[in-house]
Amino acid sequence: MNTLNKGLAVCLLAFGYLGVAHAILPIEKLDPHKGAKGYLVQTKALPMVDIEVSIDAGDRYDPVGKSGLADMTAALMNFGVRGDQGILNEAQIADEIADLGANISLSVGGERAILRIRSLSRKDLRERAVKLAAAMLSAPTYEAKIIQREKQRTITNLLEAETKPEYVLGRSFTKSVYGNYPLANSPTVKSVAAVSYADLVQFHRQFYRSDRMIVSIVGDVDRAEANQIMQALLQKIPQSGPAVEKLPEFQRSPVEPLAQRELRIPFDSQQAHIAMGMTAVTRSNPDYFPLLVGNYVLGGGGFVSRLMSEVREKRGLAYSVFSYFAPGKDTGIFQAGLQTKGDQAALALDVMSSTIAKFIADGPTPSELLAAKANLVNGYPLRIDNNRKLLDNVSSIAWNDLPLDTMEIWTKQVEAVTLEQVTAAFQKYLAMDRMRIVVLGAQNQ
Amino acid sequence: MSFKLLRITCLFLFLTQLSWAAGSGSADTHEFTLSNGIKLIVREDHRAPTVAHMVWYRAGSMDEVNGRTGVAHVLEHMMFKGTDKVKSGEFSRLVAAVGGRENAFTSRDYTAYFQQVEKSKLDEVIKLEADRMSNLNFDDAEFLKEIQVVMEERRLRTEDNPSSLLNESLTATAYMSSPYRHPVVGWMNDLQNMKASDARDWYRSWYKPNNVTVVIAGDVDAKQVLSVVEKYYGAVSAHELPARKPQLEPPQKGIKQVQVKAPADSAQLAMAWKVPRLEPGKLDDPEPYALELLTAVLDGYDNARLNRILVKQEKVVNDVNVGYDMISRGPELFLISASLAKGKTVAQAQASIRRALEELKQKGILESELKRIKVRILSEQIYKRDSIFGQAMEIGSTEMAGFSWRDINYMLDKMQTITPEQVQAVAKKYLLDEGLTIAVLDPQVRKSVASQEGK
Repeated sequence: MNTLNKGLAVCLLAFGYLGVAHAILPIEKLDPHKGAKGYLVQTKALPMVDIEVSIDAGDRYDPVGKSGLADMTAALMNFGVRGDQGILNEAQIADEIADLGANISLSVGGERAILRIRSLSRKDLRERAVKLAAAMLSAPTYEAKIIQREKQRTITNLLEAETKPEYVLGRSFTKSVYGNYPLANSPTVKSVAAVSYADLVQFHRQFYRSDRMIVSIVGDVDRAEANQIMQALLQKIPQSGPAVEKLPEFQRSPVEPLAQRELRIPFDSQQAHIAMGMTAVTRSNPDYFPLLVGNYVLGGGGFVSRLMSEVREKRGLAYSVFSYFAPGKDTGIFQAGLQTKGDQAALALDVMSSTIAKFIADGPTPSELLAAKANLVNGYPLRIDNNRKLLDNVSSIAWNDLPLDTMEIWTKQVEAVTLEQVTAAFQKYLAMDRMRIVVLGAQNQ
Repeated sequence: MSFKLLRITCLFLFLTQLSWAAGSGSADTHEFTLSNGIKLIVREDHRAPTVAHMVWYRAGSMDEVNGRTGVAHVLEHMMFKGTDKVKSGEFSRLVAAVGGRENAFTSRDYTAYFQQVEKSKLDEVIKLEADRMSNLNFDDAEFLKEIQVVMEERRLRTEDNPSSLLNESLTATAYMSSPYRHPVVGWMNDLQNMKASDARDWYRSWYKPNNVTVVIAGDVDAKQVLSVVEKYYGAVSAHELPARKPQLEPPQKGIKQVQVKAPADSAQLAMAWKVPRLEPGKLDDPEPYALELLTAVLDGYDNARLNRILVKQEKVVNDVNVGYDMISRGPELFLISASLAKGKTVAQAQASIRRALEELKQKGILESELKRIKVRILSEQIYKRDSIFGQAMEIGSTEMAGFSWRDINYMLDKMQTITPEQVQAVAKKYLLDEGLTIAVLDPQVRKSVASQEGK
């Protein structure tokens, strides 16, 4: 191990941090419109444009007993809208998108709903795609027959998912780690069945308004065109609406005896699936970078992390093993996980726990820290080398209220991280006696 | 309606012109052959200071022999386990140190390794990749651990995944003699009985420069890249490859059926027909293009025929997918797969699929339907250029199937010439019971799932 570290140090010296000082494309602030913010990165090489609307309308706003409402409110926008020339049904919407050679997608996460358009940048094509997306956002019809059909499809998918180990594990872990926060509740057959037309209309009215929206644009448009796109998208959307109740505080995972933190689920699959984690930090937390660098060493660095080394390389216990921080705007969690043959579950959990515990206690070694920083800094250009990735970055910066020069100073912030900061941050936010654990497998019977 | 048709036509013309302007890439792409047989293809794309480096070995699971299925993929894992100079695991550490992203993948047709790096780091990953092309040297202990990892991978992706089990049985049933009948990951029993020597034999047989295509795409200068590639890869000497037997699949003489029982809630139905693929040297054969377009007419967008009829109108299935890929080394299937809607039977779903196909065979497809698909294909040609890695993937996989990267644009142009009648003709000619295999997933209750928290 020693010689290996030495070899690593030599190669780090050899490669250093050279050659990463390329100009990073600037993010331009668009003119605020109807309470919404807008951002643009101009890239002219390809005649295409990617547009995103983020809406503060994620799953966390699902009312009690109606989990799945936020998802359905967004998904059903594909299936009927009131446009300028009357109603467009689902077939007409799909045909129009296809005829434009565009893609329009809707997705919903814990915090926000996201609409994305990918279009050719030629004015008439792009304008039609934007117009259609604007109608989807502002005037979905929520036709009764389609609500019924899509509820049934969702329920069928849920029943199928409940036979899959990864889904059952994920749902149980989510429930355990989110505690009293609304994200604890995943959709169920009952909660989806309970969603009505009135619920959809009410949710749409309450959350799909421009003061809860952010527009991000990357591609072959100039600033004036981007402002027009933003105005067109928001034209028919009300600026504000009914008050939204404040969400409960996301409370830190409490210290508890193991029996209360650990859940064992009998499940007749060949592999046991294991998840471990707890509440952590938001993206804007000043300790974000020490945690990012530290987690690279612990379980984020692909083939070279400690978890990978202990679980896979040394013992052959799993194909996939990982840890990550999922920092959001208002909430964030840490999670680690693996899957292993049923009769190895206890051993694998033991190895994973002791690896994480040791890392929290002792932090990384100096050479590990150096290797983590070298990878993150040298690899930064790969995080921003096409329109899609740029949009992901702009979107995150906008949603999380980060400074507009975030991409420019990212590598400097990584380089500035010290050993002491990593260790202190891990000890501040993570603790083994707070970790929620879910083990799912046949051995639990 | 006619107004709409006109609009489509205008867009279509615009896109056709655009594809000539932006879709080409041949001016930015350079091909070289080294004296040891390595083919190098460089796609210059200077949008961002990054580069994708891929090494493609033309050896996949279709080159395996009985009792050793999965060995191509096992060797892919062992390629990270050390050479004479680089210790086990150090390959990944060195790539990580330069900020690289790396991985490898095995298919029926090939095994490929890649790194994505900031452009000044390209030489370093070329040096590493060239080293393991000829100096791989892992010990038995590493093999014994890694074969366990591969078995975990099979458990994760196949044993506990009913859709994968269904697909595995479908393929093994559809093909009698073609090596395509074996799963890429290998049968579990073959993995349990695999020896380190099997992996070493595989390496010695197939990992030769005359079996390699190197694809480099990104912010590079082709001439400079050539000199680096010659310096490192040029040192490896060529070697005769094992004979590849054709193992052509005999014609199917009637319908085949297979049932799989596995833990699931909904039944699944898969129908697969033997169909032709595009063959090198026969780029003008219209049938493979027509089959690709048929796939899209049935399933290419949200309002395509099968989704519209089966999911939305008849509500007989919950989801439906159509798959066909005209570019491959081995025989191709035209695959329709569906998961059933609640309360519907497999027989009902099959009847609905057959009705939709019959209607298409009898009445053909609309010109407007086909134009819509062609527009999508053209716009995708522009979107795909957003990804350097995607471009390298397209070049490599096309080359592995026996075509040239230069054929890609020719194929796309050819696709645009296909008529509705030609699409109808392939449906009539090939979607017949003689060449059909049907696989059904019969869902079983998982024994231990009952005690779950509330629905």
